[in-house]
Amino acid sequence: MHKVLSDRMAIFIFVFPGLAFFILTFVAPIILSGYYSLTNTIAPGTSVDMVGLSNFKELLLHDERFWLSLRNALLLGLGFVLIQHPICIFFAIMLDRIGGKAEKWFRTIFFIPCVISVVVISRMWLSLLDPTFGLLNKVLGFLGLESLQHVWLGDSSTALGSLLSILIWSGFGWGLLFYYAGVKGIPEELYEAARLDGATGIKLHWRITVPLLSPVITVQVTLAMITALKQMETVFLTTNGGPGDSTQFLAVYLYNQAFSASNYGYANAISIMFIIVCLLVTFLLNRIMKNKNLDY
Amino acid sequence: MSKANRSMLWIFFLLVACVQLFPLVWLVDFSLVDSNEFFSDSVLVWPDIIKWQNYINAWVDGQFVRYLINSVIVSGATIILTTVISLSMAYAFTRMEWKWRAFFFGVILLGIMIPIHATLLPNFAIFKTLGLTDSYWGLILPYTAVSVPFSTFILTGFMRSIPRAIEESAVMDGASIYRTVFQIILPLTMPAVVTVAVTTFLNCWNEFIMAYTFISNNSLKTLPFSVMNFAGQYASDYGSQFAVMVLTSIPAIVIYAIFNEKITKGVTAGAVKG
Repeated sequence: MHKVLSDRMAIFIFVFPGLAFFILTFVAPIILSGYYSLTNTIAPGTSVDMVGLSNFKELLLHDERFWLSLRNALLLGLGFVLIQHPICIFFAIMLDRIGGKAEKWFRTIFFIPCVISVVVISRMWLSLLDPTFGLLNKVLGFLGLESLQHVWLGDSSTALGSLLSILIWSGFGWGLLFYYAGVKGIPEELYEAARLDGATGIKLHWRITVPLLSPVITVQVTLAMITALKQMETVFLTTNGGPGDSTQFLAVYLYNQAFSASNYGYANAISIMFIIVCLLVTFLLNRIMKNKNLDY
Repeated sequence: MSKANRSMLWIFFLLVACVQLFPLVWLVDFSLVDSNEFFSDSVLVWPDIIKWQNYINAWVDGQFVRYLINSVIVSGATIILTTVISLSMAYAFTRMEWKWRAFFFGVILLGIMIPIHATLLPNFAIFKTLGLTDSYWGLILPYTAVSVPFSTFILTGFMRSIPRAIEESAVMDGASIYRTVFQIILPLTMPAVVTVAVTTFLNCWNEFIMAYTFISNNSLKTLPFSVMNFAGQYASDYGSQFAVMVLTSIPAIVIYAIFNEKITKGVTAGAVKG
């Protein structure tokens, strides 16, 4: 058995294709990106002039949009953690309590928006939030709240909030599913023990379910921040960063720098910073959360 | 939970579901009416005459069938490649004995953290040099690369939970390691493989930005593109635009309806072990 399982040829055949894919689409591009980030080339295939670290200097010291993108990602991430996740946890617990056919049915229904293409979702919400024929303004008019009608995605004060709502709507199913899986992993005996001690209803869940979900919450909070940082398609297809950079995100910014503004070299510098920020955030959050769990 | 409470919860859930799905109902509703109706005051409209012309426009001018075929080819090839690669890697990571396996497992998992958007620009340059832009491979390769880390993660988790006895007896009987993996391990890991296949399908089917960047030849574009294309072409014909969106969403919803249990099970298994 040992001989078969340490067959070097077999290991190579099993691991090499996956590794080759990884190198082709992750490692090689990042190296190439690192190279381009040191140049001022305007598009792939054009002349290349080395400019050293000046792209990074410009990006970190003088580029307000870069920091604005990070701020927006942070706000969006906080929005996920403070608004979407509590809703998901609440529904996950209630879904577990309702039981029977309803549990299965509602779990299936709540997930439906998650299987729809981001292009459809974005275009649909553009229409829903359209100032003239959009559903939201019509409903407000119907309720006699004309004063609240708004150019939701076209006003820099409401654009980011509108975007957050779209993303909460479309991502609700995934969050719910992960927390639901966590709730299902809590053994029934723990609830019974707590009930014997006199805990019921909301108190029971606040004292028992939520603390026991902390490993799931840890992973989900990290994922939420990463999701916020990686935000691209929905923004690109609705506001494209505007109005006035109020919904600017790193991925949108680098894409437009590369393909619209012809700053390919600079865009690659953004790419490299983007990867560093993502890995750094993952690392830091894991650190912070681990310490917190130890205290608990 | 008491009966009264349960009924209350039922009603509450039903209300939430209605609110949540209302945008989709609205989308379907307005895909069946004339664009003039968009500017009426009503929230939903009851079409006097259903405007099937919207769907005809979507089907014919939206070149729905062509994009559908492209989507099926790209998703199908990606699912097969992802499954084979992830399954064999997961086997090497969980069962086989070699020095660097923890290191390489860690490297592959990094793929989940690295944002694909950051690799978009250099990949565009690489694919262009290799002549992969404007070909099916220009989508199949990056889609597979993006799907493999997550799939390997799910499959290793699952493989650790299945006993070694069956494959050991197969090896004792003289089956080769390759036969063992694809004839013994594959059926045993089927639940996880289905989860991986369905999530990979949904990701490829709905993927937009790579398709948008790597493909410019109209005959190779995938479904999300038909929506974009159509939005330009039929800029003021909202009814037809909505019809395209509905048509595009149907295949994914059907697949989801068939396999939704598998997605839940896969996520549950992953979360409990994670």
